[in-house]
Amino acid sequence: MTVDPNAATQGFPPPPPPPAVHRRPGAARYLAPALVAAAVAVALGAYGKAHHPAGTAFNLAGFSSTSAVKSWLATTAFAFALVQLVSAFMVYGKLPGPSWAPTLHRWSGRVAFLAAVPVAVHCLYALGYQTYEPRVMWHSLLGCFFFGAFSAKMLLLRSERLPGWLLPLVGGLVFVVLTAIWLTSALWFFRTFGVTT
Amino acid sequence: MARMKRPGPLLTLLAGLLLAVFMLTLNATTGTKNASSSSPEASPSATPQASPPPTGAPSSSSPPPPSKSAPPNADYAGRTDDNSSAVAVSLRGGKAIAYFCDGRSKESWLKGDVKDDGTMKLTGKHGAELNGTLKDGRSIRGTVDLGGQRYAFTADKAVKPSGLYRATATVRGAKLDGGWIVLPGGKQVGILDRDGKPAAAPTIDPQTGTVTVDGQTLTASPVTP
Repeated sequence: MTVDPNAATQGFPPPPPPPAVHRRPGAARYLAPALVAAAVAVALGAYGKAHHPAGTAFNLAGFSSTSAVKSWLATTAFAFALVQLVSAFMVYGKLPGPSWAPTLHRWSGRVAFLAAVPVAVHCLYALGYQTYEPRVMWHSLLGCFFFGAFSAKMLLLRSERLPGWLLPLVGGLVFVVLTAIWLTSALWFFRTFGVTT
Repeated sequence: MARMKRPGPLLTLLAGLLLAVFMLTLNATTGTKNASSSSPEASPSATPQASPPPTGAPSSSSPPPPSKSAPPNADYAGRTDDNSSAVAVSLRGGKAIAYFCDGRSKESWLKGDVKDDGTMKLTGKHGAELNGTLKDGRSIRGTVDLGGQRYAFTADKAVKPSGLYRATATVRGAKLDGGWIVLPGGKQVGILDRDGKPAAAPTIDPQTGTVTVDGQTLTASPVTP
């Protein structure tokens, strides 16, 4: 299988190459995702700051606390993010991988994202954007940033003829930020309260 | 616009958005009611004076009637010999609860029984241990073993507002647990845990027990076993 550095941006199987006549202005391809990303991050932060934290939200049966639920969901998201990292290397041919690596990459990403969404909703609804200590401040900041960066990544996927380094860069950023978010929340929770459900 | 763009990434974002809206609706409609019943951390126990200060009442209600030589109900508060920390012990009906606190980071809640001869061995989390002897009902002399160190202490009988206070609450999702020792003479030593992380506590009003934490007013109650 030939290695196409733009494989991740293409459908699977890849669609025919775009007609040469149709070329969009270069800036818009980056501007729109960047603006959407900024809007998402700022909107989340503003909501978290403005909404009076409820202090609580509904809990799932079988878990001792909403924090435990969140920690496990976040850990699930992080585990799938690791799959993302490995499968991305496969898609780009840096690691040997199966032919369904792009599908694996796509679906592990979706699962990771959908697992992270309820966590973020709880954070923003029940706790809000807080800055009372460094761990909390970084978590709040990066949490908002993550969903902005993820939106940008999704929108960039729809653009064609991107520089080859752009998607890996944004994808890597999303992964690093998610890792930092996990370290400042779920890992901290497990270390402080023990690995409980 | 001849080509269809890939809808996958947009659908992913849309699914996330829908899920978020769904969760928010769930929270807004049912959240506050269900949460406190199912999650123990959400129960706001900052309600003032949940336990009335038992002075003579508990001996009539506690199942094992204390023998006539059992140590009388009283509170004791004092400092360690090295002056680094404070210790308070509260005795009720042959049971004791104690709090050791350095006002910064080291603290321990300890519980146990008081024998008829006035000796007590109280235990806390992480192997913490307090061994003490009640002398004539006026003071407790003993040691606290905590974090690999031994602290000798003397705690004299404390009368209100001196004594041992505790407040627990959930404020903006942070689980707060504060303990205060008000020493005879009015000096306070306290630690406030935010989600298990200890720090020096703001001072309480010993008359009313009120304390302001993160902009929220809580009420610390006298601690009894």
